[in-house]
Amino acid sequence: MKKTIFIAAISALSVSLTSAQPVAIIIKSEKVTGIPLREVNNATWNTATAFTIPVFPQNITTPMLTAPSVKNLKVKSINDGTTVAFLLEWTDSTKDIIVDADKFCDQVAIQLPMHPDTLPIFMMGNKKGRVHIIHWKGIWQNDIENGFRDVKDAYPNYWADIYPMAEKQGDGTNGKFAKDISALDYSKGKGKNFMPASYAGNPMSIFDRKEPSEECMAEGFGTLTTQTNQNATAWGVWENNTWKVIFTRPLVSSDKDDAPLTAPTKIAFAIWNGHFDNISGKKHYTQWIDFITQK
Amino acid sequence: MATVKNWQLKKDMKYPYDESRPNKQIAYVFDTNKCIACQTCTVACKTTWTSGKGEETMFFNNVETKPYGGYPLKWDLNTLKMMGEQSWDKATGAYKGKTIFDDTKGENVNGWRPAERDYAFPNMGEDECSANVNKGAFFSGIHDTWMFYLARICNHCTYPGCLAACPRKAIYKRPEDGIVLIDESRCRGYKECVKACPYKKTFFNMVTRTSEKCIGCYPLIEQGEQPRCVQTCIGKIRMQGFLSKPGEAKADNPIDQIVHIKKIALPLYPQYGTEPNVYYIPPIHVPTDFLHQMFGPGVDKAVEMYKNLKNDPDLLAAFLLFGNTPKTIHHYKREGDFTVGYNEAGEVLTKVPMTEPVYVRPYDDKDHGTFRHNTP
Repeated sequence: MKKTIFIAAISALSVSLTSAQPVAIIIKSEKVTGIPLREVNNATWNTATAFTIPVFPQNITTPMLTAPSVKNLKVKSINDGTTVAFLLEWTDSTKDIIVDADKFCDQVAIQLPMHPDTLPIFMMGNKKGRVHIIHWKGIWQNDIENGFRDVKDAYPNYWADIYPMAEKQGDGTNGKFAKDISALDYSKGKGKNFMPASYAGNPMSIFDRKEPSEECMAEGFGTLTTQTNQNATAWGVWENNTWKVIFTRPLVSSDKDDAPLTAPTKIAFAIWNGHFDNISGKKHYTQWIDFITQK
Repeated sequence: MATVKNWQLKKDMKYPYDESRPNKQIAYVFDTNKCIACQTCTVACKTTWTSGKGEETMFFNNVETKPYGGYPLKWDLNTLKMMGEQSWDKATGAYKGKTIFDDTKGENVNGWRPAERDYAFPNMGEDECSANVNKGAFFSGIHDTWMFYLARICNHCTYPGCLAACPRKAIYKRPEDGIVLIDESRCRGYKECVKACPYKKTFFNMVTRTSEKCIGCYPLIEQGEQPRCVQTCIGKIRMQGFLSKPGEAKADNPIDQIVHIKKIALPLYPQYGTEPNVYYIPPIHVPTDFLHQMFGPGVDKAVEMYKNLKNDPDLLAAFLLFGNTPKTIHHYKREGDFTVGYNEAGEVLTKVPMTEPVYVRPYDDKDHGTFRHNTP
């Protein structure tokens, strides 16, 4: 009974969304020479058509976004025959790139269906209807640009007597026990026992991140799972009250968990505004949109 | 939302998942009358579990002073304020107000998320009385000015708010013992559990960027031992055991005897609706209006019973087992002048005299050439 109601709700929403977009958008990835991986203002992007897509507050499952703060997302796509890239732009008057007990960061994600012919539900897919998601977060961008945000970076005047469990101990000036040991060093030895998520191999607890992005897969709400192979990249720049984020991935991927892109497919997007505590299901989303890669 | 039975509220209530009680439910009894806030439990827990980076302000166990103390700041007051009027039916004892699973506004739980500064004052209000003591005041049964210590851990609730709020189902309640755990490999640090837990016993780790909580010392539980905070309690205020399902109480289970049968130990803020499983003997010298809000309508009877504990040998026998064995007691029996605690296999764990022998020594100790007092 619950499932019937749920599907009915999705259908009703789909109808209303379809009617809200009278002109069908087809995002075309235009063929170029050379992909600017981290240059959001590179002239190459001028060759691509910009598509403005309305985004909606997620109100299908809990927790819902009750107060939306983003209206539109501007999307451009290019490819060089090997790599496909997306430039996503949206207005955000605050740059939120840290997380803490009461702080949330800005985020954006793209979603592609593994099997476009049997299209899954546009939001996180469904059981046996898997989607491929590439996710960028402001905190990861900050990790790479400014280094991992450790306790001392967040609270310069904090005091912890000692970290007795750290394997790498003091250098002789700090005494026997480590005091200002970094999270990365702590996680390398037996101290890792006291960093449970790191010990468990949680991809949230990476202290030497190389890319501000994460490739995931999902088959419905709450099933987001990090892929074994990470072959996507991302880079974000915040300027003039606007986030500009580039995603790239191989056009033809050897990773069986990556969605196909050579044939016409669909794409969807999600945006989180950290300033308004957007997190998890509290996000702005788009419906599936047609996507074609020019060869 | 499903409809589930909450025996503490004596009514059905809303919860996101169907009722699914574990095979065994971990439960604790804390005697607030015996706690001296030495914080040995806090330190034992801290050094055992939360000595890592990002866990600096994390206390799975804390002891705060009521009425003004609270960690994180105003953890209870903020939730009480959000819930509106919380009254109990005087005739039936059923709760008439809303729980945290009502008025959820697009979420699964009606909660609030503490700010960073709320974790900065773990000893706020410590040892402070409710008011200044007036000159010439004297004790007349209930103190006009009062305070008491409240030791707090995760309640391993039957209907956990944290579990209800996690969109990833990364929080689960173990069927074998009812311990509530966060799967540290699946948590993505959404902090929905931190917002949802009305006891604020899930914590965000800013270094690992995930949430963590009390694990009920499950490695000890799996070996038949009581958790660290219970074993190390020098005031012997704590006992851990397993609470039977409502209606299935066994008189020889000390936790059942204390909670289900005698009802002398009461849940903390039962009106939240999570069916918490740490049960408190209310402080007998504190005005009961305050205690009604904190422990529900059973306070008056519990206080009266505690004052007459010496006349109830079965209950007294259960109390005397507190702090006398590191092992978890499943059964107990009064045998002559002793109370005996047994493990699940029926082996004796501890044997405690019902009455301690009294030795009166001479004031003038001629053997040692000194004088001494006798302290009863």
